Amino acid sequence: MSLDPDLAKLAVDHGLSLGADYVEARLHHILEVGCLLRNSSPEPTILVDSNGLGIRARYKGALAFGASNTLSTQSVKELVEEVVKRAKASTGLVGEPIEFSGEEMGRGSWSAEEKERLEDIGVQTMLKHLRELDDVIKDGFHGVSFTNRLLMIETSVEEKFYVNSDGAELRSRVPRLSISSFINASYNGKNYAITIPAGYSSIGESGGWEVVKRLDPYTFFREEGSNLAKAVKSERKPPSEPVDVVLGPDVVGLVAHESSGHPAEADRILGREAAQAGESYLKKDSLGLKVGSSEAYVSDDPTIPHSMGFYLYDEEGVKARKRRLIEAGVIKEYLHNRATANVFSTKSNAASRSVAYNREPIIRMANTYVEPGDYSFEEMLEGIKLGVYIKSFMEWNIDDVRFNQRYVGLEAYLIERGKLKEGVKAPILEVTTPKFWSSLDARGKDIQFRAASCGKGDPMQGAPVWTGGPHIRLRNIRLGAR
Amino acid sequence: MDLEPIASEVLGELVKLGAEDASVIAAQSFERMVRFSNNTISVTKSIKDVVVFAYAALNKRRIMGSTSNPSQNALKEFARRLIESCKILDASTEYAPLPKGPFTYPTHTNYDPKIESCEEGVLEEYVKQIIDQAIKAGGERTAGALTAEASRISIATTGGIRQSDRSTRILLNQRVFVGDASGHGLACSTRLNTFNPLAAAEEAAEYAKKAVNRGPWSEGVYDLILSPTVAADLIQHVGEAASAFAVESGISFLVGRVNEEVACDLLTLVDHGVADGAVNTRIFDDEGVATRDNVIIERGILRTYLHNSSTAKRFNASTTGSAGIIDPHPWNLEVYPGRYSPDEMIKEVKEGFLITNNWYTRFQNLRTGDYSTLPRDATFYIKDGEVKYCVAGLRISDSLPRQLKSISAISKERRWIYWWEVTTPTLAPYLLVKQVNVTKAVG
Repeated sequence: MSLDPDLAKLAVDHGLSLGADYVEARLHHILEVGCLLRNSSPEPTILVDSNGLGIRARYKGALAFGASNTLSTQSVKELVEEVVKRAKASTGLVGEPIEFSGEEMGRGSWSAEEKERLEDIGVQTMLKHLRELDDVIKDGFHGVSFTNRLLMIETSVEEKFYVNSDGAELRSRVPRLSISSFINASYNGKNYAITIPAGYSSIGESGGWEVVKRLDPYTFFREEGSNLAKAVKSERKPPSEPVDVVLGPDVVGLVAHESSGHPAEADRILGREAAQAGESYLKKDSLGLKVGSSEAYVSDDPTIPHSMGFYLYDEEGVKARKRRLIEAGVIKEYLHNRATANVFSTKSNAASRSVAYNREPIIRMANTYVEPGDYSFEEMLEGIKLGVYIKSFMEWNIDDVRFNQRYVGLEAYLIERGKLKEGVKAPILEVTTPKFWSSLDARGKDIQFRAASCGKGDPMQGAPVWTGGPHIRLRNIRLGAR
Repeated sequence: MDLEPIASEVLGELVKLGAEDASVIAAQSFERMVRFSNNTISVTKSIKDVVVFAYAALNKRRIMGSTSNPSQNALKEFARRLIESCKILDASTEYAPLPKGPFTYPTHTNYDPKIESCEEGVLEEYVKQIIDQAIKAGGERTAGALTAEASRISIATTGGIRQSDRSTRILLNQRVFVGDASGHGLACSTRLNTFNPLAAAEEAAEYAKKAVNRGPWSEGVYDLILSPTVAADLIQHVGEAASAFAVESGISFLVGRVNEEVACDLLTLVDHGVADGAVNTRIFDDEGVATRDNVIIERGILRTYLHNSSTAKRFNASTTGSAGIIDPHPWNLEVYPGRYSPDEMIKEVKEGFLITNNWYTRFQNLRTGDYSTLPRDATFYIKDGEVKYCVAGLRISDSLPRQLKSISAISKERRWIYWWEVTTPTLAPYLLVKQVNVTKAVG
C-alpha cells in the first residue's frame, strides 16, 4: 500500500493556513487477515483493509481530531476545515490551553524486524497451520475432552506516514501475528470454557511469518492443553488462612499492566478518561510515593524487539524509550504524551498511540512487565510451608482508580514444604494495589510475555501490547474461593 | 456518497469473478464527539467513514472482508483479492446458501436530520449546558462524552436483496464528582426531541452528593438492586450467550437449554432489530434478511437461540435475522417491565445494596456463567428497607444463571442503556436479585 505523503503534508499546510497553531496528519493503513477453525471446520476467513487519514489541529489551546477514509485532495481539505472549525468552536470551553512539551521531532523510517513478509503468505498456509494445531489438542488430555474448539490465527501489517507542523516526518511498518483459542473442556459431566493461552490472551509477536517458528505453537498448545486439562479436574479449595503465593508470568504480566501501567497514565491522573476507563489512585504529586517493597520493579518498554507493542517513535513524533514505572517499590515515572508532559513540566516519554486512522492518539502502554530478579523457581518455593502457586488465570478485574483488583487462578497448585502438590481450584487473589506490591519479596530470573489487547479511549481502541514478567512470590496473602 | 451503486457494483464484481453466493454492505457513518473533563472540553472529534463489507462463497468455500477504500479501482481490487483467496480455501461442511428474498422490512422513525446535520458549535453548546447543570446541581467537577452519529447503509445480495436504510443517535455518558465521590448519568436517543441530557447530568450530580457519606460493610451474601445501567450490562451477556455461534463453540451458559427454565418467570427478554428509540436500529441483517422481534426468554423459559442461515442449518432451525455472517448477535435488547417502583424494591430489601453503575464484567467460565464485576460510582447500603449510606470497594462475585433465577422484582421504569461498557443497547429496568455473593479486597 503506498501512503501518499503529499496528502498528509497538504493537510498540515492547509490547517496552518486556516489559523491552527499546530497540525499533525497520519496516514494509517492496516491490512488484517483472520483465519478461524471451529471444531476442525473452517469458518469464513476474514480480510480487513483499513486505510485513511487522521488529523489533529490545535487552535488557541483547543484540540480537535478528525478522520476520513475518502482520500482525495478535496475531501482532505474539507476534513481539515471541519477539524479547525470544531477547534475554534470549543475555545470558549477550554480551561487551561492545551500546549505541547518541546521535544526533538523524529524524521525518517522505522520498522519491526521482518524476515518473511506476511503479505506473501496465503490463507491456505494459515489454515494448514491451524489444522495442525487442532490435531495437537482435539483429542483432549488426561481424560478431559476438548469437545468444542475455536482456533484463531490473526496477522496484521500496520503502515503509517506521520507528519506534524513541529517538524516530525516518519514512515513506519509493523507486522504482527498472534494465535489464540477458545476451548470447551468436558470432564465427568462438567464443562469448563478455557482459552489457550489462558486468560483470554494470545501468543504473539511483531514480525513476519517467521514469528510462527519462533512461537512454536504446537509445543505450546500441547503443553498448555495438557496442563489446563489437569487444572479443570482440580477440586481442592485453596487454604482459608493467609499463605505465601507464587504467581506465574501470565498473572504477573497482567498485574503489572493493570495495577502499575494503567494508573501511571498521565491522562487518567489528570481526569481526562474519568467517564470511561476511569482515573488513578495516583495523583499529580505521587511521584516518589512508596507503594511496594524494595523488590517491586515494573517497567514499560516499546522498544523490545519482536514485541506486540513495538514502536520506535510514537504518534506525536517522539522517540520511544523504556519507562521505569516502579523502582524499588517507589513510583518513578508516569506515561506521558506531549500535552500531559507540558502540564507536569516534564518531557514526553513517547506514550502516544493510536490503533487506526479514525482514532485519536492517546496515552497507552506498550509492553509492561515486572523486571526479573535472581531467584530460580525452586528457590522461590523453598521455605514455603503452605502456599499456592497460581500459574495462570481466567477471570480478572480492577476498579476504575486501579486500586482494588482480582485475579482468579485457572492452573494452580498447592505448595507444601517447598514442593508443588495437587491442583487447587480457582484460587482468588483479591487485593489492593499497595498490598500486592508490598507483599512481593522475590522475583525469578525467568521472563515471559503474552500478547494482549488493551482497551481504552472513546471511541474504544484495542491496542496490541505485551504483558510479562518472571515468577514472583508474595508473602502472607489471604486467598478467596468460589 | 451514494451507497446503493457501491454495494451493487461490488456484488456484480464478486459474481463476475465466480462467487455463487455473496452479500455486500456499504456503510457510511459520520460521528461527531465532544469529550469533556474537569468542566472543560478536552477534545472534539469528527470521524467520517465509508466501509464496504463483503461475504462471498464459491464451491462451499467462504470468505468475508471489509475495506475502507471506497474508490472504484480499490473496490475492484478488493473483490479480486477476496475471490482469489476464497478459491484456495478448504471447502466447509458448514456452508449454507444465503437466504433468498424478497423480505418485508420493518420501518422505523429512528432517523433525525437535525442530528445528521448539526453544525459545529451545536454539540459544544449542549456540553456547556450539561456542565453547567452538573455544577448547578451540586457537582464539583464533571467528565464525559457527547456523541452525535448518523449512519447510512445499503445491502445487495445474490438472494435478490437490494435495500437501504439510515439512522441517527445522540449519546451522553457523564460522570460527576463531589470530592472523590461520583455519580454516573446516561442519556441516549435516536431523535433530538427525546434526548434529555440535562436530566442525566442532574441525576449524576445527585448520586455524587449522596455518595459522599460513606459507611462500613462486610463481605457476604446480600440482596442487590441493580439500576438499569447495571442490569443492561448483565443482560447484554445473556444476549451474547444466546448466539448460536457461542452455543456451538461451547462458550455459552445456555448450551442445551432451549425450552428449559433459565430464569425466574418474571423475566422476558426480547431482541429487536427495530424498536422506538433503539440506537442500534437495523432493518436487515448482514445476509439481507429482515430483522424482527425475537423472544429469547419468555417468562423464564429460553425460547430460541439467535441464528444466521449457517447456524440455523446446523441447528435445524430458521434464521432469526441476527446475522453476523459468522456470529449471530442481538441488535437491541428489551427486558419487559415489572410492576414495582424502585422505592418499593428498596422496601423489599432487609439487607443489601443498590448498585447504580458497574464495569469490568469478566467470566471465569463462560460455559457456567461464573463471573465477577465491579460496582463503580454511587453504591448504597440498604438496611430494613431504607437506604442508609454509601459504600465503596465491593465486588459482585456470582453466577449469571443463578442470578437470572434469583430475580424477585422488576421495575415498571425502564431506560435505554448504551455506553462505553454496554455495547448492546438494552431497554433495562431495575432488577432486585436475591442472595448475591459480594466480596472485598484484602489490604
